[in-house]
Amino acid sequence: MEQYKAVIIGGSAGSFQVVTRIISSLPKNYSLPVFLCLHRLKHVRSGFVEALSIKSTLPICEPNDKDPIKPGIIYLAPANYHMYIELGNKFSLSTEEPVNHSRPSIDLSFISAAYNYKRKLVGVILSGANKDGAIGLKKVKENGGLTIVQDPNESQVPTMPNACLQVMKVDHIFSTNEIIRFLNKLG
Amino acid sequence: MVSLEESNKIVAAIKSVSTYDFSDYSEKSFRRRIDKILEDFRMSVDELISRILRDKDFLEQVVREITVNTTELFRDPELWITLKYRILPRFQQNKSIFIWHAGCSSGQEVYSMLILLHELDLFDKAKVFATDLNTEMLEKAKQGEYRYRFNMNYLDNFDKVIKENPYNYEDKKDVAYEKYFDIDKKHDLIIMKPFLRNKPVYRKHDLVNDKNIFYSKFDIIFCRNVIIYFNTKLQNKVLEMFSSNLYRDGYLILGAHESILGPVANNFERTKGIYKKKSY
Repeated sequence: MEQYKAVIIGGSAGSFQVVTRIISSLPKNYSLPVFLCLHRLKHVRSGFVEALSIKSTLPICEPNDKDPIKPGIIYLAPANYHMYIELGNKFSLSTEEPVNHSRPSIDLSFISAAYNYKRKLVGVILSGANKDGAIGLKKVKENGGLTIVQDPNESQVPTMPNACLQVMKVDHIFSTNEIIRFLNKLG
Repeated sequence: MVSLEESNKIVAAIKSVSTYDFSDYSEKSFRRRIDKILEDFRMSVDELISRILRDKDFLEQVVREITVNTTELFRDPELWITLKYRILPRFQQNKSIFIWHAGCSSGQEVYSMLILLHELDLFDKAKVFATDLNTEMLEKAKQGEYRYRFNMNYLDNFDKVIKENPYNYEDKKDVAYEKYFDIDKKHDLIIMKPFLRNKPVYRKHDLVNDKNIFYSKFDIIFCRNVIIYFNTKLQNKVLEMFSSNLYRDGYLILGAHESILGPVANNFERTKGIYKKKSY
């Protein structure tokens, strides 16, 4: 388990409670950075970090462009930007056109993280109402990383996990509790 | 993704036939844009280079595709609310306010500011300049016509910034859209009023090569989500140029998630994406 150096989680409709449960379960001294790429409703653009922070033991921040990546911090893709994880362990943000109607795009974040961390990355796709994330999770796998989707039977909106299962062989189909247990073992 | 070597060849080709210099663009983001262009045009790197070298119009098109042209009416309402209540009131006593929108793209930010200035009775004393690398974007900005369906979501931002007061929910101002723009649903258009369209001075300007081309310093410079596509070296150069062309106590407004990383940060006090030039 020590091979893993970062966790990236993508989610959309129906994922907020799951994300909240996951981040509230991580221990204070967690040794990996956690990237959250979540679609948000237009009217909850601000206040989202605050809402998540209440439940989280780890610090949560929306990174600025070119900020360095540090372990033990939960990074939330800022609203209305794409968030890339770059070589040299830093972020880059962009306002390029939305991909699949989404900005942030889960695919773009996952692809860049897969390229940067290769087999040291764990990618997780949660509940959501579109296909964003499927190509990204596939790239994580192709680069040797570990892939997890939330059990579609448990997902409030199973479209996103199902889209992943259609395009690839996912390593684990986990319930929220299993995801929590697994991520806790990593760091 | 195109290799670093291929990407350097493309930069060199563009430089050899134009004044555009992408050498100090953020390498990864440049390569991603090139990937997108190769995909959209269904071309190989060699085909792209040879066409850049012989076809001026194509080159302009490529430059337009490399640069990211996202802009929205009242993008990030929090910023505009801060401008409305905390920053612009400080200029009430001034005889003039010099404003520069650097990298204005298709102009939505320019119009947002003009509307806000008008609401605060600062419109007449404002001198507004707007620049972009791309002449086609400047023409769009001058025209002030936008797709209605694509932009209608941003009318919520207008309501938040212009009609509502987040510090006092009972303070609501009924401002008709028609005061500033007409909505033509039949032709899917939002059309800015002529008094707004005619106000700014538009000029082509390349942040990579050009210094301040206006014979003035500025009270407020907007440059939002432009320098995120530059490397740190070029960022610092551009930020130094902005800093030396701002009046003391002037404001540099960057994107909500951009920050000044180099030594020029010492010239400013920061609140989120808003940098105020120190007076000493």
